[in-house]
Amino acid sequence: MVEQIQQTTPRALMQEMGLTDAVIERRKQIVGFESADLACIIALREFVTEHADEYMSSFFAHLANFEEARPLVANRSTLEKARQLKREHLVAMVQGEYGARYVEQRLELGALYARVGLDTRVFLGAFAHLLKQISGGVMRRFERSPAEAHDNLMSLNKVAFFDLGLITDLLVFERERTIRQQQEAIRELSTPVLQIRERLLLLPIIGVIDTHRARLITDGLLRAIRANRAKVVVMDVTGVATIDSRVANHLMQTVTAARLMGALVIVTGLSSEVAQSLVALGIELTKFNTVGDLQGGLDEAERILGYRVVPVPSNAGSPAQPVG
Amino acid sequence: MPVPILKQGDVLIASIQAALLDRDLVQLRDDIADQIGKFRSRGVVIDVMALDVLDSFATRTLRSIAYTAKLRGARTVVVGIQPEVAFGMVQLGLSLDGVATALDLEEGLAYIGGLAHQDVHRDR
Repeated sequence: MVEQIQQTTPRALMQEMGLTDAVIERRKQIVGFESADLACIIALREFVTEHADEYMSSFFAHLANFEEARPLVANRSTLEKARQLKREHLVAMVQGEYGARYVEQRLELGALYARVGLDTRVFLGAFAHLLKQISGGVMRRFERSPAEAHDNLMSLNKVAFFDLGLITDLLVFERERTIRQQQEAIRELSTPVLQIRERLLLLPIIGVIDTHRARLITDGLLRAIRANRAKVVVMDVTGVATIDSRVANHLMQTVTAARLMGALVIVTGLSSEVAQSLVALGIELTKFNTVGDLQGGLDEAERILGYRVVPVPSNAGSPAQPVG
Repeated sequence: MPVPILKQGDVLIASIQAALLDRDLVQLRDDIADQIGKFRSRGVVIDVMALDVLDSFATRTLRSIAYTAKLRGARTVVVGIQPEVAFGMVQLGLSLDGVATALDLEEGLAYIGGLAHQDVHRDR
């Protein structure tokens, strides 16, 4: 996973996160950034640029106080890179240009935090510390006109929150990447259709069902019905963790399509939680032939096909022979 | 092209061989209703194996054939729906509710034979 982030350029990351120009514009609106703020920020430009090094050092000095920030400050080359990027950030913050290029820079730094696994809380703390330092400096600089200083700082704050939004989104996005990859892996598990008796198929479904996979499952099942001349299909959903209305709809389509080909589908393995949530959601599954567990489903299927399973008389009642 | 209807014992077999115009389907419905009475048929098998699409009109007509036949005293089974067709129908939300389906002609005939068998049992 670490390598993957390294390979991802900030630009590609922007695309993955769906940060188009329109979205960036929207984010500015959300923090309340207006054209009036530009002038306020320009007023701070000279002062902040001058002290950028100082503030950057203070940011990392604050981080160094915390054990949680260790992964970042312990590695010299990463830290050097982070310091450089942070300095650029401070300068860029007061340039008044907050477009795609600016977002790209933020993501580059954010990706670095994500890569070393920087704790979000520590990062937020250091950022708060940084803002406090800048505020203090600005208040001193504009000693004679505190109202103006306040306005300027408020404008800068909007930019800061714009940045924070990006960085936290990125940290969350990277953390969720693992989950997405696992889901992808589950989704790609094939769904076998097994013939367990003449004209009887078993379809065990495991994992997440989305539209794409539901299609594959249905397709595979229909082909197997034709190839094996199946009359009954037992569909076992024990391995499906949650069934919501979408999943239920997919299952319904599979069942209906199988019926059109003349096969009866028995659904088994709806756990009590799933059953209760289906009822609570008001999902109508009366069309389903449901049997509690796989064993019961197979019994039912065999009954429909006219099989009867009986124990062999000679073994009945005699104790099992110990092996060896 | 009208659909040929074959009589096999007390079963009528309509085997659709090519894509149908709506007119042909309506013709088929009328013919089947007619011939059930004429031959005192107990079952109707409609084979759609050769079709690679079943649209809403065809689905509705098949349903109405089945209902009409029921009223005339015969059971209908639609056979040979292809996997792609079945999937397409489901996606379009078309269904053959209340109409029996079977894999192919053989299965369909077995189904109708089974029904006759059941009826005999019930009569005893």
